[in-house]
Amino acid sequence: MEFDWAPEDARHRDEIRAFLAEVLPADWEEISKHGPGSDTQAAFSKTFCARMAERGWLTQHWPAAYGGRDASAWRHAVVGEEMWAIGEPRGAQYMNVNWIGPAIMRFGSEEQKAFHLPRISRGEVLWCQGFSEPEAGSDLVALRTLALREGDEYVVNGSKIWTSYVDNAEFIFLLVRTDPESKRHKGVSVLLCPVDTPGVEVREIPSVVGARYFHEVFFSDARVPVSALLGPEGEGWNVVNYALQYERVGAARYARAARTLDRLAELARERGMLDDPTWVEKLAEARGVCEAARVLTYKVIDERAKGRPPSADTQLARVAGTRADSAVANLAVELLGAEALEYGSYADANFRLAMTAGVAVGATEVQLNLIASRFLGLPRD
Amino acid sequence: MDFELDEAQQAILDAVASLLDKHAGPARAIELAGTDAYDHELDAALAESGFTEVADAEGAGPLEAALISEAVAAAGGMVSFPARALVAAGVGAALPPGPVAVCTALPRGLVRFASHAKSLLVLAPGEARLVSLEPGDCAPVRSSFAYPMGQAPGGLAAAGDALGEGSADTLVRWWRLALAVEAVGTMAACLEVTTSYLSQRRQFGRTIGSFQAVQHRLAELAIQIEASRWLVREAAFQGAPAEGVATASAYALAAAGQVFAETHQLSGAIGFTREHDLHVFSMRLQALRIEMGGVAEHRRAVARERWGGGASGRGVGA
Repeated sequence: MEFDWAPEDARHRDEIRAFLAEVLPADWEEISKHGPGSDTQAAFSKTFCARMAERGWLTQHWPAAYGGRDASAWRHAVVGEEMWAIGEPRGAQYMNVNWIGPAIMRFGSEEQKAFHLPRISRGEVLWCQGFSEPEAGSDLVALRTLALREGDEYVVNGSKIWTSYVDNAEFIFLLVRTDPESKRHKGVSVLLCPVDTPGVEVREIPSVVGARYFHEVFFSDARVPVSALLGPEGEGWNVVNYALQYERVGAARYARAARTLDRLAELARERGMLDDPTWVEKLAEARGVCEAARVLTYKVIDERAKGRPPSADTQLARVAGTRADSAVANLAVELLGAEALEYGSYADANFRLAMTAGVAVGATEVQLNLIASRFLGLPRD
Repeated sequence: MDFELDEAQQAILDAVASLLDKHAGPARAIELAGTDAYDHELDAALAESGFTEVADAEGAGPLEAALISEAVAAAGGMVSFPARALVAAGVGAALPPGPVAVCTALPRGLVRFASHAKSLLVLAPGEARLVSLEPGDCAPVRSSFAYPMGQAPGGLAAAGDALGEGSADTLVRWWRLALAVEAVGTMAACLEVTTSYLSQRRQFGRTIGSFQAVQHRLAELAIQIEASRWLVREAAFQGAPAEGVATASAYALAAAGQVFAETHQLSGAIGFTREHDLHVFSMRLQALRIEMGGVAEHRRAVARERWGGGASGRGVGA
């Protein structure tokens, strides 16, 4: 047990910071305020990711056989922390490199790997995730979207909901039921479906989180070639489980929360609030929550670095991460007071980005169930 | 980075575990609880095995001392091991064998272990001091909060030997770490006792631990305890940096308040009894929470170290 960064990873952190200082535009903060799903950030992510890719940094944790550099999970974590801390200039592409690419590597055909992986590692493609449905939210396995095979095609009917990034995405990582008689985990499959497939319709769901944050995606006799099936038909639940383990702690949200908190402390100082023990204690309490998420995430990265199967530590880290997000966002609003009332202000933008924490990517309550059974060994009866 | 024990660490902890099996555990703690006793037997056993000097040992250091301290606390050991292995070692004070207490020069409260202590590490303005104690120097005072408590003598600001320039800050850092590590072991034991009780206790025709309302509350505690554990271990490995230990102690001791409240609530009336194991650990948490000025003081230290926040509170001495 030891807690030093490998010298080469520490050096890489410095390189990344220098690179960010060089390539991020002067108005980056304004661009990033609207979150990775916004048009401006989606557009920016393509240039940015291409520049990351030029340096071999975008997918460096991938195996060399797929255009990566076999970099360790720790190296990947350093990149994730630096990216999230500054507002995730990779935009939605963090998903591609974190879990969509790895899922294709693990389950994809040679043809799928040859087509998708280079595009992801060059940073030129946007993906979105088609999991949730109107009747399958936290209980994802209740999904109903049907993909029935007809010759060389699947005919897809149904709908997906809450889909972020889909308005700019080329592909949707689509979870469907290929066996209409099946229940629960059986008969589920994954399709790598082009968003521009005829019969796919995207509608925004207006929300208080922000413009074009959530969408509903309708499939009406959308014909997807069988070659888009990822992994064996009917065994998509394994694919999803594999992907979700990566997804749940893929984004270093605590790094962003910690950066925001430092900024809040600066603002508090400027306003003379750092002399007030009440604010000092609140800031320090939030700092603890961010640090808690960091160490619990590191525990998961350690497992991953050693190639261990993911344990319940993933759930601990996930819940802790959402707590960091909420703690800082709530404090920002409280500390900045009336300024937070203005749409687009620092506190408001932060608050809206953080308000989905605990709901997005699987409800906290589901994570707590898993902690109770897998970590504490409590009975189900 | 490596979150798993290496072979040497595993060997140390295996040896500690078999020692604790023999000399500690809830039954022993219940036997000693409420008697104002100090576990001299366990203290001697730890010293004889060389564990007390582990922080200065070849191939070991403060992380190993912290890991042992955590295990001792989780086994309910009523000894001042962390004060010796982390605080005294951290300030470089050479102590005679026997119990150790840590306090400030102006204690308004009572001091853990003082009534038994042979050595008193004192946070005096500027320099820390080491004071040798004779029996009777610190009158025992009865406390609900499990540890033997004593009233420190007056005049500590100039008593004993000064430990050198900067030693006051050093003492504070290691004291925070020792406190937090003790809280981690003790909280983990509270959760373990409660989880195993609720896995067996049946009401309404089912195991209480199978109710989701109960499970979620225990899961929340698990998150806080695990986070505390890793914050503390990281800070120990790094040699108790001021910000790191303040973050760890502020977070862990806030968690301690929750752990006390929740484990007692979920255990029901049996949790208040002397025959059940929970009190052995839970009542100690209250004493740990109060020490060094409490959570508010640890939090102010976090802000001072990270942002240079100017707010001063009651001070560590309160």
